[in-house]
Amino acid sequence: MKQDLMLEIASDPRLLRVVRDLVRSYLIEAGFVSDRVDDVVLGVDEACTNAIRHACGGEPDNTFRLTFRSTEGWLEIQLEDSGEPAPPDSFVRDEAPGPVDAADLSPGGLGVHLIHEVFDDVEFCPGTVQGNCVTMKLRLPKEVKQ
Amino acid sequence: MGLEIEVRDEGDRRIIAVRGEVDLNSSPELRKAVLGAVEGVARVGVDLSGATYMDSSGVATLVEGLKSASENDRSFVLIRPSNAVMRVLELARLDSFFDIRDGLEAG
Repeated sequence: MKQDLMLEIASDPRLLRVVRDLVRSYLIEAGFVSDRVDDVVLGVDEACTNAIRHACGGEPDNTFRLTFRSTEGWLEIQLEDSGEPAPPDSFVRDEAPGPVDAADLSPGGLGVHLIHEVFDDVEFCPGTVQGNCVTMKLRLPKEVKQ
Repeated sequence: MGLEIEVRDEGDRRIIAVRGEVDLNSSPELRKAVLGAVEGVARVGVDLSGATYMDSSGVATLVEGLKSASENDRSFVLIRPSNAVMRVLELARLDSFFDIRDGLEAG
């Protein structure tokens, strides 16, 4: 699998704008249409936000890593952090999500919901000992414009 | 572009005009403005026509504003949300949860 891009990012919320701009450029280059780019930028931003908020414990001197790999028909975006492991069910969404219950709304839970909405597949990476690792997968556009 | 928030009164409604990007870094500023307005006046509108980006922390801030307004019997509306804001509300399945207005004239 070809590794396109690896970003090592300090867990500073001010950098989220920079990450969004980079991800946007990358997705346009990969041939995604504008609406899809907007959605995926949101999904990646939510994953980074979760990493900063929970795993890195609000400490701006921690870092997390975002890796983009493309393979036959798929783009994988992997986020790895070295913070406190999240509870196993943190990234699980109900089988039939239904409307988000606003009375119960937590920003973290909403972020996970958005990640699942945006990506074609979301999974924990197996065998992670330290920290958290999540892989977000997208089907690549069939015809990439040259 | 970062986030710019302008608060002004139009008639009996306090308008919080949001321009730029609402994310984990900037949403505390929006939260302060929204909760301050809900505490201070009976009718609040958040003008989101210039909001070019909004994440879950921004959505949670709007939900918090609406809840606080409802608990205190106050009016809380969203005015002309940008495409980016409408999209995140749709993905969150909260687009019908808010009172969304095209302008200030009604209600």
